[in-house]
Formats: sequence, C-alpha cells, structure tokens
Amino acid sequence: MKKKMNLSPIFFVGPHIILFIVFILLPSLYGIYASFTQWNLVGDPVWVGLDNYKTILFDQDSTFHYQFINGMKNTFIFVGISVPLMIIIPLLIAVALEHKGVKMKSFFQSIIYVPGLISISAAALIWSLIFNKQLGVVNNLFGSDTVWSATQPFAWIVIFVITIWAGVGGNMIIYRASINGVPKDLYESAQIDGAGPIRQFFSITLPSIRFPLIYTLVMTTAGAFNVFAQPLMMTAGGPRQGTTVLMMYIRDLAFSSGESIAGIASAMAVLLGVVILIISALQYYLMNRNAS
Amino acid sequence: MKMTKKISISKYLSYLFLIVVSAIWVIPLIFGLATSFRSQTEVVTAGFRLLPINWVVENYVTIFSDTSSAPILRWIGNSLFIAISHTILVVIVISITAYGYSRMKFKGRDVMFFTLLAISFFPSVVNLIPSYKIIDMLGWVNTPWAMIVPGLAGMGNIFLVRQFMKNIPRELDESARVDGASDFQIYSRIILPAIKPILIVCGLFSFVGSWNDFLWPVIVYTDVEKMPVTAGLLLLQDIYGNYRMIGQLMGSAILAIIPTMLLFVFAQKYFVQSLDLNSGIKG
Repeated sequence: MKKKMNLSPIFFVGPHIILFIVFILLPSLYGIYASFTQWNLVGDPVWVGLDNYKTILFDQDSTFHYQFINGMKNTFIFVGISVPLMIIIPLLIAVALEHKGVKMKSFFQSIIYVPGLISISAAALIWSLIFNKQLGVVNNLFGSDTVWSATQPFAWIVIFVITIWAGVGGNMIIYRASINGVPKDLYESAQIDGAGPIRQFFSITLPSIRFPLIYTLVMTTAGAFNVFAQPLMMTAGGPRQGTTVLMMYIRDLAFSSGESIAGIASAMAVLLGVVILIISALQYYLMNRNAS
Repeated sequence: MKMTKKISISKYLSYLFLIVVSAIWVIPLIFGLATSFRSQTEVVTAGFRLLPINWVVENYVTIFSDTSSAPILRWIGNSLFIAISHTILVVIVISITAYGYSRMKFKGRDVMFFTLLAISFFPSVVNLIPSYKIIDMLGWVNTPWAMIVPGLAGMGNIFLVRQFMKNIPRELDESARVDGASDFQIYSRIILPAIKPILIVCGLFSFVGSWNDFLWPVIVYTDVEKMPVTAGLLLLQDIYGNYRMIGQLMGSAILAIIPTMLLFVFAQKYFVQSLDLNSGIKG
C-alpha cells in the first residue's frame, strides 16, 4: 500500500520558511561567522579567529577598542536613564487616565499616543527647532542661549526628551488595559480598611499588573539597546563623541564611504547581541522570582 | 464627606498632570506646523515667534515646485509604495502561514513553529550586516524590495494570528471538509473572514513600522531618488545652518507625518484595540 503524501502544508508554511531562512537564519549565522573574520563586505571573509574580539576588548592603542568602550558606555547611559522613564511616565499617565473622575480619556490618550506614529526623522527635525539656539521655544522661553545639542549634559537631555515623547504611547496603552482589568472590589475593600490612593497603588495596582510590567520592561530594554536614530539626528553623536552609541559605530564601520570594516563591526554587533540576551534573561529571572 | 474630598483632590491632580503632559506633547507639533506657514523673510527678520505674523503657503509651494535638492513628494511616493506593498504582503503571508501552523496536521508542526519563534528572539543587530550583503547579492540595493521583503520573515505577527485562530471553533472547518472543501477553500472562505480584526491590527502596525523604519533605509539607500522619506529627511538636517530654509524644513516634516496621522484618525479604534491583544500576554 502506498501511503498518500499530503503536500499541502508545504504550500502554506513553505514560503515563509524560505523567507525566514534567507532573511533571519542565514544572516544571523553569517553575522556570528563574520565576527571571526576580516571582511570588507565585497570580497570573501578571511578567518582571523578571536583577533577582532581581542582588539575590541583589550587593545588599548586601537581606535576600535576606544569606539567599542565609548559606544557601549553611551548605550548603557541611554538604556539606564531612558528605560526607567519609559516605564514610570506611561504608568503615571495610565493611572491618571484610569482615575474614575477623569473625563475626555480618549482625547488625552490620543495626544500622548500620536507622536509614536511619527517617523523619528520628522520628529527630530521638529524637535531640533524646539531646541534651536536662536529660533527655539526652549531658549526663548527661558531666556537662555544654550547650544543644546553640543553641550553636555544638554545633548543627552535632548535625546531623552524626544525618546520619551515618541515612546511612551505603547506602554501607556498596555498599562491602561491592565489597570482596567484589576478587580474593582479589591480597591473597595482597601478603602474600607482606610488605605489612601498611594497605598492602594503600591499594594493593589502594582502587584496586579506585574506581568505586563515584566513584559514591557524586557521589551523596552531590548529596544533601547538598539538606539541609533535619536543621537544620529539630534546630536550627530556629539559633543566630542559624548553621545555616540554603539549602533552608530557599527554602522559607520560597516557602511561608511571608505573601505568597509565589516569583521570588526560584526564582532561589535555580536557583543551587543550577547549583552541584550543576558540582560533580558536577567530581568525576566529577577522579576519573575520577586513576583512569586 | 472626607472620602469625597480625597477623591476630588486626586481627580484634580490627575487632570493637572494630564493637561501638563498633553501640552508638552502637542506643542512641538503645533510649533512645527505654525513655522511651516511663516515666510522666509519673516523668519530671518522677526526671529523667534510661536505663531506667524502672516500665514503664507510659500514654503509648501516651494516644496512642491522645486524638487532639485530635496524631492519630498518623490520620497513620500516611494514610502507609500513600500509601506502599502509591504502591508499587503504581510497580511497574505501571516494569514497563510498561521493557517498552516494552527489548522493543518503535519509531523513536527509545533516543534518547528516554536523553534522558529525562539530563533526570531535572537537580537537582530547581529544579522544587520549580512542582511545588507544578501540584499546586495539579490540586486535589491536602492530598490523598494530591500524594504518590502525582509520584514515578511518575522514571527511576531504569525504568533498573534495563530493565537487568534485557536479561538475559532474547529467544527467549522470539519463540516466544510466533510462537504469536500480543500484547505485553500477553508482558509479563504472560513478562516480569513473570521480573523479579519487581527489582520487589520497587524496590517496597520506593519504599515506604520514600514513607514517609520529608519536604520535599515539609511543603510540600503544611497540613491536620493529612490529613498523613502525617513532616510531623505536625514539629508535635510544640515539645512539648520540656513535659517531661510526653516519654514521649508518644517513643511517637509509635516508632510512626512500626514499619512500615519490620517491612518490614526480613521483607524483609531484598531490602534487602541491592540491593547486587548497585548494584555493577553499577562495570561
């Protein structure tokens, strides 16, 4: 008896599997391979073993070492400051929106959500005008003549402002839905026990929404490590490479107009990827353990 | 008595906070919009003003007529073609693939699905440089395909659609199958109409994501005529040296914002509806 082979699943999942192999699996594996090679993107990569990693991590005289350390440091500064703000600010907004006395909820929500739909380059052009030395709202309002994008710590502040402006909408919507889902009788019995709004927030709201909090924390952090557009558009990485993040160095090394240094850039990308994986795993583990 | 007072204090604090935040959020957009209606001479002679002395459309006239240095309309056209094609293909690919992983029976189906899902969590920064090489080998550098196709490989939307399909009763397909319907007929006549809400949500976010993508187009487009508007606007950043051009610069930014704004106005409930899907993860 010949068993009839059913080929139709191949027509349904097959096309996507090809796409997945070509645009995710192969490039990921090749990215790891390329980090052990000397490669200019045009010719064949030449195997150099751990040389790229040694140079990046330990060679004090190398520009690549300086770029990696500086880029990683600036990326960590960005993540360390922006992620808490991207959790706390949308959480506060969501709590205010879910207050039962507040009306026009969807009006406020729309205004705060909409910047997230604007491309970062259009947003950056507008915010550059807000912080412009002569024509900007900020300097003219406060009578200052700061060159925001070229002076520290203002260069960082500019980057954080546009990041938060564009980035809180998604988390706000998740928190709103979660807070809305907390059973109302929990609050009622807390009120009878005499707990004020702040007590209620910390002992009822926060524990009840811990899973959305873990989820948004992990996703926001992983996203923040890939920061690129805001410093490129707002400060061009300045002053004196003070806001140049690792993604900017990776792109410059691999794709700038001169000879491509894709091997070194791939090694930096792998190191950044490893950091993202470790931190995501750590966050997930710690938050899950504390929550239970 | 004491209770109501407490509630009203926290109510006013909530209002105060929301009004301050909303004001900070909306002022840049209003300022940018207003500046795009100031004449070149007014910006140079009058300097900073929140609103124009005279509202003029000369910046927009210049943007539409003089396309030699910055072909804004061309860029917006490129972006529209890319984002619309990408969105249509995303909806087709994710619905067909999710049907395969949730409705069809084949060996190793779930192992395969979760393996692909796990691999897709691998940080994308690692595949950036080889992805460029692959696009280059396909001859897609400086073509729309560089932005339309690679995003179709993602697993996130397929996961969401697969979850959604689980809630559609299997009796529907079974009875259709008894009536002699093929898998493709079940997919197109029963499943597709039932998963429309999730497909609309995935489609909208794919459009917005494609329209606003920045790092990738900055890498794969060097030809000014071929690039989407996000990469194009990066080239305009230098204009800040020239105050005459500020109005035009704001006009260009405003034009680049309009398509996704329109989408939000007409499909607002779907953008906000995604909260039901997102909160589903708290499971």
